Amino acid sequence: MLKAAVVVLLAFMTLPTVVVIAVSFNPTAILSFPPAGFSLRWYENALTYPQFQRAAVNSLWVTLGSVALALPIGTAAALALERGRLRLPTLWATLLLSPLVVPGVAAGLGFLILAASLGMIRSRAVLIVAHVALVLPFVVRSVWVSVRNLDVTLERAAASLGATPWRAFRRVTLPLLRPGFFAAILFAVVVSVNEFVVSLFISNRVTEILPVAMYSYVVNYTDPTIAAMSTLFITATFVVVWLADRFVGLGRVFLQHR
Amino acid sequence: MANAVVELRGCTRDYGGVRAVDALDLAILEGEFLSLLGPSGCGKTTTLNLVAGFVEPTAGRVFIDGEDVTGLPAHRRGLGVVFQSYALFPHLSVFENVAFGLRERRAPAAEIARRVGEALELVRLDREGRQRPSQLSGGMQQRVALARALVYRPRVLLLDEPLAALDKKLREEMRDELRAIQCSVGITTVFVTHDQAEALGLSDRIAVMSRGRIERLGAPREIYERPSSRFVADFIGASTVLRGRAVATDRVALASGLEVQVAAGAALRIGAELELAIRPERVQLAAGPGMGAIEARVEGLVYQGALTEVSARLGDGQRLRVFVTEPSPVPLAQGQTVHLVLPADAFMVLT
Amino acid sequence: MKLLLAPALTVIALFAVALGCLLQYSVLTFIPGSLKTGGLTLENFRNVLAPQYLGVIWDTVWLSAATTVLTLLAAYPVAYALARTASARVRSAILVLTLAPFFTGAIVRTYAWILVLGNAVITWPIPMLFTERGVLVGLVHFSMPTMILMLAAGISHIDPVYERAAASLGARPARVFWRVTLPLSLPGIVSGSLIVFAWTLSAYPTPALLGGGKVQMIATVVKDRGLDSFNWPGAAAFALLALAMTIVLLAGVGRAGARAA
Repeated sequence: MLKAAVVVLLAFMTLPTVVVIAVSFNPTAILSFPPAGFSLRWYENALTYPQFQRAAVNSLWVTLGSVALALPIGTAAALALERGRLRLPTLWATLLLSPLVVPGVAAGLGFLILAASLGMIRSRAVLIVAHVALVLPFVVRSVWVSVRNLDVTLERAAASLGATPWRAFRRVTLPLLRPGFFAAILFAVVVSVNEFVVSLFISNRVTEILPVAMYSYVVNYTDPTIAAMSTLFITATFVVVWLADRFVGLGRVFLQHR
Repeated sequence: MANAVVELRGCTRDYGGVRAVDALDLAILEGEFLSLLGPSGCGKTTTLNLVAGFVEPTAGRVFIDGEDVTGLPAHRRGLGVVFQSYALFPHLSVFENVAFGLRERRAPAAEIARRVGEALELVRLDREGRQRPSQLSGGMQQRVALARALVYRPRVLLLDEPLAALDKKLREEMRDELRAIQCSVGITTVFVTHDQAEALGLSDRIAVMSRGRIERLGAPREIYERPSSRFVADFIGASTVLRGRAVATDRVALASGLEVQVAAGAALRIGAELELAIRPERVQLAAGPGMGAIEARVEGLVYQGALTEVSARLGDGQRLRVFVTEPSPVPLAQGQTVHLVLPADAFMVLT
Repeated sequence: MKLLLAPALTVIALFAVALGCLLQYSVLTFIPGSLKTGGLTLENFRNVLAPQYLGVIWDTVWLSAATTVLTLLAAYPVAYALARTASARVRSAILVLTLAPFFTGAIVRTYAWILVLGNAVITWPIPMLFTERGVLVGLVHFSMPTMILMLAAGISHIDPVYERAAASLGARPARVFWRVTLPLSLPGIVSGSLIVFAWTLSAYPTPALLGGGKVQMIATVVKDRGLDSFNWPGAAAFALLALAMTIVLLAGVGRAGARAA
């Protein structure tokens, strides 16, 4: 009985995805399911639509930039939290995780007003800073877990063998933090690539990232181009998630099991 | 002749490639205290789980009061279980924990109050009813678990290493209390343990298990004095095993040519290679040579207060363990020569 | 060591400044037709409590509550299966199916519901798209992964021996669930519900796209006023309202977590 319910519920969760993928191959502009035929014209449309192309490039830069910044910043913070013998560790931790708590519309509007008062309205820099702030909690959390599991005696062993603190960090600590980095990058990329609400407020047609461009399209047009775009998104995501599960074991990241 | 309350016939239980219980036959008699004794992995807990209905046998059948309950789920078997970790519901008070089984049986509130009260009195916890399990000590939690399992008068009481989590002194106290309660209530009890002293002290019968099978089933004294196999001799009590060959129906020649008199009940087959076991406490320290005493050299001494464990080497190289009650009749020192008497009836012939 | 914390704190500080701007503008007067603002005023907050907006707030709260309850009911079986399945492969499968929507982004998921609710798959007997019902479905779908993960984490902490003990005492599987598993999973239920409720209060893409302008939630009001009418002060007041509600609720999660420990 439980199994039946679970299957139905998982089907509910997956249904929309299936429909989108099916519709993306529909030869006509009328949204129908099951699709009346098979055509790749919407994929062609999606991939050649200039606004999508520009938005994709923007997404690439914004995500790369924000992850590249967030990773070292977040790692440093995680190390400080775990090893820094801070007086109020929970306070600092809560502060670092606080962007998670703030509603997207609030952060978005706030950054918009801030950018306006600095005369930097809709600049890419503001967009990247906002993404770094949104992505940072995930990076800190992922790396922190790894740092917690680090065995301090390994670094002591390196020291006893003559390695300077910096060399020990580079040759022992950093490699051991790799699983944390992997998870951090995964989360950061996914969060940044899919970030919509805040980016909606602080970007314009020139600087907007992909989800915002897709949103504009959906509001204005009803053809399955978005279905094609979505399918590409979904495929990329499934591949990434599957890989992550195979190499890192997502179960370990999310559940505490034996 | 007491009748069998629980019967396992040819029960086998596999977990993937591992056979935890192997074609087990066991009849548990009315009112008896039976221990399932053995090392880790011998299948004793799995056997308990088969009786309780937590797992189904891969082959074979389980009977309770003559009825085939093999497919019957645990909650319909009407048994009482005390788990190793006690498994007291953390979100319920002591009273509610004990009342749980009665509530499942739709007993009226007044009756529940009365019987839970009695059960808590039986385990001397009548004043702790409102507390949460986390507020109680280990020993008290164990007694609550016992009360919870007994309050609805189950057919059989199953205990899965209930004393394992307690420290030594508490364990001994609880052991005596458990026996007292079981006797006064008269309930058929199955007790799983790896501690042979516990099994010897509590049981009417012991089933010594190894690798999914019952090696020996019998009363404690019988098993201790006539172990019948090397495994049982080793597991229950301490013993030394000596190898030799029978040269007469009642004499065995040990490796060095040393001959010992053996009165093990049955006549020995002449020429047969055999293993003899002797308990260290039965080996006697003679004042001097003669009277059939065997010469040995003391290699190790471990003072234990009430006795000293002596490790002695015989002329033929075999080692013998001796428990010498303090104060020792003969002074003991490393390297010293001693004379040991091995009484003929102290030998156990192992098959 | 404190130095290591500095860059991260700088980022957070910038974030705080952005929120500060929100606070600042919420007490300034809106001058229609321009981005310039007048003097200090509480008019914006008074506006928030105006009847038509009070309706929006109420709708948001009601919709979020309904979403939370439905999500809880739908997520529990999946979470139970995820936490209790012995087979690693089944667990992986459930995990992937649960997490994947998480990762595909709001626009994709909402668009998918536009298709399904918009008669592309089956023709609904009653209109679904651009109604509250449709938005509710979208919100539940959106919240399920989060709820499943939080519930599963809670359930996986319950020692299975309690369920065996209850069975040995005579409780049928349904009773075991009701009397033992459910109460012991309460911390997970509480934290999951609070988080889903808090996030749904500020949800934007789902009501915006599936509601088609007919279903207003706090977040859509912020966007309409902020980006469309350029009423930054007015939008800021609403945004702060959403922020305050979220903080209060999530503080509750912390409390519930601490009490369960």
